Amino acid sequence: MDTERGLMRRVARGDQAAFTDLAQRYVPKLLAVAGRLLGSRADAEDAVQRALMQSYAGAAGYDARWAVSTWLYRILTNICVDELRRRATRNAHDDGSVARALSAASSNHRPPAAYLDLHRAFARVPREARILMALRYVDGLSYGELARIRGISINTVKSQLARGKALLRDELGKRGA
Amino acid sequence: MGKSDHLDLLLTDYFRPDPAAPRLAHRLAATAGESAAALERLEQRLGIEATPEGICLVRTGRVDKPATAAARRLIERAREEIHEYFHGRRAFFQVPVDLRAVPDFQRRVLQAAGHIPFGEGRPYAWVASRIGHARAVRAVGTALGRNPVPLILPCHRVWRSDGGLGGYIFGAAVKNRLAALERTTPVLEGCTTTRIVCRVGCMHSRRMRPENRVVFASVEDARSVGYRPCTLCHPAA
Repeated sequence: MDTERGLMRRVARGDQAAFTDLAQRYVPKLLAVAGRLLGSRADAEDAVQRALMQSYAGAAGYDARWAVSTWLYRILTNICVDELRRRATRNAHDDGSVARALSAASSNHRPPAAYLDLHRAFARVPREARILMALRYVDGLSYGELARIRGISINTVKSQLARGKALLRDELGKRGA
Repeated sequence: MGKSDHLDLLLTDYFRPDPAAPRLAHRLAATAGESAAALERLEQRLGIEATPEGICLVRTGRVDKPATAAARRLIERAREEIHEYFHGRRAFFQVPVDLRAVPDFQRRVLQAAGHIPFGEGRPYAWVASRIGHARAVRAVGTALGRNPVPLILPCHRVWRSDGGLGGYIFGAAVKNRLAALERTTPVLEGCTTTRIVCRVGCMHSRRMRPENRVVFASVEDARSVGYRPCTLCHPAA
């Protein structure tokens, strides 16, 4: 089996089969991250599709000092974060749509009943912490890798994750979980 | 992951990838070919006129030659900004516009349209009520249709209330493509080496290497993880 860096070198030479191979390794994880960040399955698929297109188009600029996963997650989170920004401005313009967006999100991407409380609590965690938590728990990424993906220091990663978890505990505690 | 507690286990389970994820990889080939060819064709056909104070006309086809060196420099700058905008590397225009020859009502309409955020759309009625003429929806449509500086002043962000495109000086297909372009262009980017967050298109952001770019959803978010706003482009707080 090819190493991921080897695959990336082939992708950079325009090898479509290598790209498909790489995409198949990562699509489930990328979808899980995007799905939990964006709420709806359709939006997550759109984000992943754009991330894959960008990574294919930018493969020649891939620097082998990066882990392929770090590089792919950076591209995906950049896309998801911009989508979250757009929603925030849309909601600020359209009063009362937050509730509608939340209900639409949960109907599109309904979590198992057992996770409904967690799903709601997670939506209250600040964005940057939410992004780090999604990456951390989908793929078990290290603090160093998370720091590189978001371009922040390792200490900031630790404090954001701790803050996110503390908020989740609080929220879940309130709901009696 | 170090020592795990109950919440860690819960979260790991919550985030578990769906093994039956669809085969997106195979769908890629079909869409990857869809490029910005239409916008490139438009870019080549654009004619721009300027006064020493700012850009005063953007149209397809032949236009008058700039009368002064200052006007020529502004036209070059506008071309560069439009090129970056069409390639997803600019989320705002900095080149000045000169609307002195535009009637007062139309100028107010255009300025109101200029307040619609990048990547968003607003109905004609929104513009009408913003300038204090809520019933003048049709007049707003006419004023936008005669926008002398399309692209730079974003009349393409004004749509019909029923979600329909409405007209556009460069045609509905271009209007649609601009909406799609703005949906996929990030607005706020931080540089991982300088820890500065900029509006996309700022001089500073143009110098960032691709691998140093991280997108943020708000300046507040960027601050929360140790970034500071750029003092050149002043991204909104």
